[in-house]
Amino acid sequence: MADTAHSSQKTPVTVLTGYLGAGKTTLLNRILSENHGQKYAVIVNEFGEIGIDNDLIVGADEEVFEMNNGCVCCTVRGDLIRILSQLMKRKGRFDAIIVETTGLADPGPVAQTFFVDEDIKAKTYLDSVTALVDALHFDEALKTDRVVKEQIAFADHIILNKTDLVDDAKLDEIEGRLKGLNPLARITRAQRSFVDIASLLNQHRFDLTKLEEIGHDEHHHHHDHNPAHGEPGHVHDEHCGHDHHHHDHGHHHHNPAHGEAGHVHDEHCSHTINPIHDEEIKSLSLSTDKPIDGIRFTQWLDKLLAEKGQDILRAKGILNVKGENKRLVFQAVHMILEGDLQREWQADEPRVSRAVFIGRHLDTAALKAGFEATIAA
Amino acid sequence: MTFAYQKSFDSYVVDALFDALDEPVVALGDGRVVFPDSEKEYDAHPNAGILSAVIHPTGLGVITGGDDGRVVWTSKDAGPIELAAHKGAWIDVIAVAPEGQVIAYAAAKKVHVLDLLKKESKTFTHEHSVSDLCFDPKARKLYCATYNGVVVWFARIDEKQKPQKLFWAGSHTKIAMAPSGEFVITAMQENALHGWRLKDSKDMRMGGYPAKIKSLDFFAKGKLLATSGANGAVVWPFLRPNGPMGEEASEINPLEGSMVSVVAGAAEETILSAGTEDGRVWLAELQSTHVEWIKGEKGAPITALAISGEANRILFGDEDGVVYIFEHAE
Repeated sequence: MADTAHSSQKTPVTVLTGYLGAGKTTLLNRILSENHGQKYAVIVNEFGEIGIDNDLIVGADEEVFEMNNGCVCCTVRGDLIRILSQLMKRKGRFDAIIVETTGLADPGPVAQTFFVDEDIKAKTYLDSVTALVDALHFDEALKTDRVVKEQIAFADHIILNKTDLVDDAKLDEIEGRLKGLNPLARITRAQRSFVDIASLLNQHRFDLTKLEEIGHDEHHHHHDHNPAHGEPGHVHDEHCGHDHHHHDHGHHHHNPAHGEAGHVHDEHCSHTINPIHDEEIKSLSLSTDKPIDGIRFTQWLDKLLAEKGQDILRAKGILNVKGENKRLVFQAVHMILEGDLQREWQADEPRVSRAVFIGRHLDTAALKAGFEATIAA
Repeated sequence: MTFAYQKSFDSYVVDALFDALDEPVVALGDGRVVFPDSEKEYDAHPNAGILSAVIHPTGLGVITGGDDGRVVWTSKDAGPIELAAHKGAWIDVIAVAPEGQVIAYAAAKKVHVLDLLKKESKTFTHEHSVSDLCFDPKARKLYCATYNGVVVWFARIDEKQKPQKLFWAGSHTKIAMAPSGEFVITAMQENALHGWRLKDSKDMRMGGYPAKIKSLDFFAKGKLLATSGANGAVVWPFLRPNGPMGEEASEINPLEGSMVSVVAGAAEETILSAGTEDGRVWLAELQSTHVEWIKGEKGAPITALAISGEANRILFGDEDGVVYIFEHAE
């Protein structure tokens, strides 16, 4: 198969989502106009909105279609397959590709395109799904359209934009809701879509070989370009000293049963800012320090995705499999599952198995029970 | 292996063609058109890229479609001449009518039919993007491969007509018309071909491929159809009135661990050439089953391949921009 090229030779693709007015066009205009040493090809939907004349901007049609491959929820973007295949004829003219989706689009089909089409998979890789969130209109948008929740739930990088228009208490509350919807995503605060452009790239959020940790603790990257706190263009991150950014992973103060046999850690173990859960879309983090039965886990996960994959937007996990020195890592986008044995566990690394599911109507009790049942005897 | 011609252009080889005088022409991803025999080179799409190419209906020179929205005719002596321009569009695919001076080209959902003599143009708009185009042998109808099948237009009448639809669920990405005009075949997103017998619109499912089919070519007087999408070149017989129905395909020269990326057959003879994803090219004479290596060394994926009308020269190029011509000793 052609799918042998190392991901470093493939072109990274960042998918940019966000509700109407969240700041996508501002961000795209910045990406295209700023001298950041990177050349981007940008696939846009609302062609006219981009104010910069650039031969590497192309309009797309958001043509979503179903694959006839027996996978009921397997929808892809046909126009993207066509455009990306054509862009590959211009390789060398750009370093990365950005795909803008319309404010009303479900990011699922875009992401699935990168796993379903073998040519696209051979030449490009999905680097990150980045969602822009408008802090000022957050509550309103969340109420108006459920696609907002889907965009947040699907993202691995959330840019909380327009932070200058609301107060800190409100920002913390929004961040709590974002974390409740999606504990996998890194959250970056921004004003007028001002983020370090380089931080949009090389996230490798779908690359299993680069999966180090899961959840909100995987975002210790890409902060070296951040201007100091209080300076123009500063992006708030966990280094600024805002107390809500302190993550204390060793301290599971909410869970008195911790350490007992068969104990399953959930998302309440480690956050000092409590995630706020929505009813329809929510996330569930599961963990255990007992070794997992690899076969039982794989069977459980396969069955779960086959039955509930339509409602499971994203899933990620790192597992400590009994009798295996390497970490078993997996990720899923709806029913599309990728799993592999990764690097060996390090001697000083706690061998904790952790899996995060983000989806609609998640049956928390059933998921916990199913996960616990895969603990090796 | 020595080649009659070998040169690096450092740009993706989009297409390789022989014109009516068996003059080789190459279209490159950076907008250049190259005539290897005369060493002439033109920047047909300055600061842009070529996405599609066909030989001009006169048989002279090449028409290219670019990501600059331009349709350009480049001949060896006259250089590039713009035939049409559509700002902001990508000209993904072009087809030439077998009779007359008519071309059709697609940009996303729009298909433009351009009469080069009358300088008349009409536009057929589709519900979904069009991935490929072909005319029937009499140039009466235009077949547009799109989502959920093929949309068929009368090429010579105006755009208000209601097109015929050949329905088959899924995304159809490539199309080829049997030279007899009796069958139209599409390649699908799902590693399969689909075909229609046109007299009764009977469906033909032609599956079993391990990979996506990116190249299909009728050859040997239209009696055989070759495709990529497997370890070898897959050949379907079109010898009987039922076409390939009830017949089995053959796989020619399957190579373990490598996939055929492009195929090209000789128009009149049972000679077939194939290029692979790992940069090799072979030539097979199907009657004697003799297979010859044209390029045995691995390299960048072969992206374009053509056999001359006389079947004595093979022109091909790869993803890294190297163009080769192989000449058969008489």
